[in-house]
Amino acid sequence: MNAVSRLGARIISVVEGVGRYVGFLLRSLRGGLLPPYRVRILFKQMHFVGVESLLIVMVTGIFTGMVFAVQANIGFSRFGAESLIGAIVTLSLTRELAPVLTALMVNGRVGSAMAAELGTMRVTEQIDALDSMAVDAHQYLAAPRILAATLMVPALTMVFNVVGVIGCWYVAVKQLSVTPGAFQARIEWWVDPDDLLGGMIKSAVFGLILSSVGCYKGFTTSGGAEGVGRATTTAVVISGVLILTSDYFMTLILAPLSVG
Amino acid sequence: MKKVGIELEGLQKRFGAQEVLRGVSLEIPAGEVTVIIGRSGTGKSVLLKHVMGLMRPDAGIIRVSGQDITRLGDADLRRERFRFGMVFQNAALFDSMNVYDNVAFPLREHSKLSEPQICLRVEAMLASVGLKDAGKKQANELSGGMRKRVGVARAMVRGPEFLLYDEPTTGLDPIMTAQIDALIRDTQDANPGLTSLVISHDMAATFRIADKIAMLHEGRVILEGTAETFRETDDPRVRQFVEGRLEGPIQ
Repeated sequence: MNAVSRLGARIISVVEGVGRYVGFLLRSLRGGLLPPYRVRILFKQMHFVGVESLLIVMVTGIFTGMVFAVQANIGFSRFGAESLIGAIVTLSLTRELAPVLTALMVNGRVGSAMAAELGTMRVTEQIDALDSMAVDAHQYLAAPRILAATLMVPALTMVFNVVGVIGCWYVAVKQLSVTPGAFQARIEWWVDPDDLLGGMIKSAVFGLILSSVGCYKGFTTSGGAEGVGRATTTAVVISGVLILTSDYFMTLILAPLSVG
Repeated sequence: MKKVGIELEGLQKRFGAQEVLRGVSLEIPAGEVTVIIGRSGTGKSVLLKHVMGLMRPDAGIIRVSGQDITRLGDADLRRERFRFGMVFQNAALFDSMNVYDNVAFPLREHSKLSEPQICLRVEAMLASVGLKDAGKKQANELSGGMRKRVGVARAMVRGPEFLLYDEPTTGLDPIMTAQIDALIRDTQDANPGLTSLVISHDMAATFRIADKIAMLHEGRVILEGTAETFRETDDPRVRQFVEGRLEGPIQ
């Protein structure tokens, strides 16, 4: 095979893969909308995605807020604008840092776990067993996971925002010379609810991406334990790349929301 | 004349360049145990998945009680599966659940029975496979033989018309193999309306349980009949397989 046909075959396989993923996503979402509703599984997954990710999100959030306060101070102190530290860090957090960093942290924990769990179920024929019992595996396994992540990643992002601002406040007010009043007033002046809303929309999309890619990779696993390992790694890498690229395009789309 | 439970006619399936089924035709009589034998990789499991409607053939007909299931849409095919129970090679128990919940799963999904009624049915099922007190054990705490038993209980709990076994004794010790064989036979004898289809490459087990045997080789059925037919045949391919010899036409 020459280089051109190899490239062609590669492109066809990528396009086919995207098509299969979209088909999987639509089938899972449709499964989530139709009865029977898997409320218990949904709550279990929400607990797994949300409550169990709380600690890592809080630790990441507080240190992100703190380090950005330190960095912002380096710039702002050159022209005596330290009181803006709170506002600029809060803006960065709500619009960008909290959605992206939360999604990447949750991806590492949850996206990989979904791919590994469903991949193991695939290679041990548990998904075939569901099919054989006339239970729609997309509805039973994928839909609650995707819905749980789409709801809980925004909730975790909100937690990230809050602890991030607390971290920033600690550095700015307790370690640098910003007064609490100025810190708060600047945030109220510069940060709009729309900034928060844009971040929430992004994080819901990130939740959808990381869970659906994790589930898809799990569903399409083949080749035993090695296959499960491969599916897990690929799921995390693909989701990570998709989160960062979709972030850019969503920022372009959402920008008019908070500029005007 | 025997009633036909499942009828396969000219079934073909290929995966890319690999032709797995090359026109399989076979009648599976109702109310009996039929065993399909053949080497690993001859398409036995693929055949089973076609019968269950988990795969669709490239060509050919699968009639279940006279109805061609290859023409059914997804929803009808799903309804058709209610008539089947399947015991997977490694039992495919849900490892997030205990034994009781595994067996209760099909009832909770598809019946309107109350939880006390489900409990009675599940406990009766577990007792019938000799696992009366194992309900609370997690699936991953079970031995291979116990897993298979739970698999049989789960497949039988809704009272299916057809019970399919995918290599039920692979990986078990000889005594456990004999126990599972006895379980397959007992389950059949206790349910005269049941039609069992077993995929196997274990000849001793096949002779113990089968009413009818069919051998699959290179994507076709090369011999079908009773245990006697297989013991007496002159077909060198069947003889080599039945006797487990290294030399012969099958390489």
